[in-house]
Amino acid sequence: MLPGLALALLLGAAGDSSLPSRLAFIRQAPDFTLTNQDGKTVKLSDYRGKVLLVSFVFTTCNGSCPATVHRLAKVQAAIKEKYVGKEHQAAQVVLLSITLDPQRDTAEALKKYIKLYDLQTEAKKEQAVNSPWVFLTGAPETVSSTIAAWGMWVKPTANGQLDHPSRIFLVDTELRIREVYNVDMLRAADVVDDIELLWSERSRHE
Amino acid sequence: MQPLKRSLALVLCLCGLVAGMSTFRPPTTQAETCLSPFVKRLDRPEKYLYVYCVDAEAKHNDSLITVDVDRKSKQFGKIIHTLDLGSAGNETHHFGFTDDRTTIWGLTLFSNRVFLIDVASDPARPKLKKVIENIGEKAGLASPHSAYALPDRMLIAFLSAADGGLPAGLAEFTNDGQFVRKFIMPKDAPYGYDVAVKPDLQRMVTSSFTFYNNFKKPLAQMDPKSFGDKLLLWDFRDRKVIATLTTGLAPLECRWSLKEGANHGFTNCALDDSIWVWEGDAKGQYTARRLCKTGKLPADLRQSPDDKYLLVSCFASDEIQQWDVSDLKNPKLFSTLKPGEQPNMMHVTGDGKRMYITNSLLSTMDRPAKFWVKLAHIGGDGMKLDSDFHVDLSALPAGPVRRHDMLLN
Repeated sequence: MLPGLALALLLGAAGDSSLPSRLAFIRQAPDFTLTNQDGKTVKLSDYRGKVLLVSFVFTTCNGSCPATVHRLAKVQAAIKEKYVGKEHQAAQVVLLSITLDPQRDTAEALKKYIKLYDLQTEAKKEQAVNSPWVFLTGAPETVSSTIAAWGMWVKPTANGQLDHPSRIFLVDTELRIREVYNVDMLRAADVVDDIELLWSERSRHE
Repeated sequence: MQPLKRSLALVLCLCGLVAGMSTFRPPTTQAETCLSPFVKRLDRPEKYLYVYCVDAEAKHNDSLITVDVDRKSKQFGKIIHTLDLGSAGNETHHFGFTDDRTTIWGLTLFSNRVFLIDVASDPARPKLKKVIENIGEKAGLASPHSAYALPDRMLIAFLSAADGGLPAGLAEFTNDGQFVRKFIMPKDAPYGYDVAVKPDLQRMVTSSFTFYNNFKKPLAQMDPKSFGDKLLLWDFRDRKVIATLTTGLAPLECRWSLKEGANHGFTNCALDDSIWVWEGDAKGQYTARRLCKTGKLPADLRQSPDDKYLLVSCFASDEIQQWDVSDLKNPKLFSTLKPGEQPNMMHVTGDGKRMYITNSLLSTMDRPAKFWVKLAHIGGDGMKLDSDFHVDLSALPAGPVRRHDMLLN
């Protein structure tokens, strides 16, 4: 039996606190096909084998999104700092931020947002290896179906903002959702611990 | 400071000024104190009060009633909608919002059904969107009691094992009801009741009542030795028990201190007529002690948003007590309210100025009484009943209904 399949069956059995991991198998992460800030087509399944942090934000948000992005940047910085000299380990986690507002958040708008806040999207920055950060948009109907597939929703409010849940999804190397944080829970040290746990599962089963 | 940190810090400061406009709230703002900290908070005064009801004569289907509680509405204090839950005898008891406040998980003590109720499409007219039969089946648990939101999931505290006995346990589900995992209570503390998480400390606490085969009996026939007297402290990230504390008999509601970083909380011990406090020290060791004696059978416990007062309903002595717990070494009875017979559940509003009250506990434990929902105002001089607000649920067209838990929207 393939090691990955064995783990999947073990996790799929679920319903048991004796699971090999404190991070439960919550559900399979829904695939999507969207466009990144450079206009390139990206699928979730392109990232099989990496650990993913999937968030839903929009660039004109004045609610939870700036805090979410700020805390994700701290996670990215913490990994970079921890894995100095350990080539390519940091690149084994990828941050994916999907827009909740595809009408306004074009690829160009995402690029401006990245530049405005100096977000580090590239795998290499200042000679150190980074965790890549990809911002995603697409046709409104495609983004809407992605939002719904992930159990998220978005609703216009009277002040011109968009109401939405605060959820950040931790996805393992087999594209399974293993933890869901809200912005208050998104503490760098805890998230790095969780990422390392998922890395260790993968290495145990390779 | 790095450009990223500088610019995002500026945005975060600006957002702090408008936090009430969307879902983000500073972690220290914990209005609606009885809800899971992961539930989205209201950014306005309440408009609707949902009351979870049992047909008192066990003839008709159970229901969820919506009461208009918008002060500006002409229908203030009136029942504006009744949602038929489609079955009877469930013992509808506690219910809770999902993290995004779009759905209520309505739990049942006798039937093990869960009613998923849509309160987002039209908050004035909730809709039944799904009924889950035997929610505890995959976990081997029964009598779901507390519905506690986690991000994108629900954590359910069960009172019983599948056979109606012990051990009780916890189980997690996706928001649409898919089973995720379970945690069975340990042999030395096998009872279950409530659950509460303190995210800033990564701690969780659970409490102890009794199990289905005991509480399904009339009160006089229940075995008084079959109630728990333990609180369990858990590491929330690991979901592992780290301390077992002995309290008075039947510790029920679990209320963590609302202050950021404060490592203590409170529980009402129903069969010890007391409130207990649990406290963690700098080494991570926990202890519990009786904080104060209360009236008889303290059935529910709530907090003021400033963490200064506890509100405890004393089911058997027909009173609600307000305790000043700002000094944990010297708690003081601040005020007492006599709202009527057997007050039970309370729900404090986000601003801490109002509290809704019901008067039914369990169909096996209620005394003969008229059933109502009342409103108390909480001010600097204590609690006062609102004489304009009285929802009489003993005189409905379909007959009287008992009601227990409440939620605001």
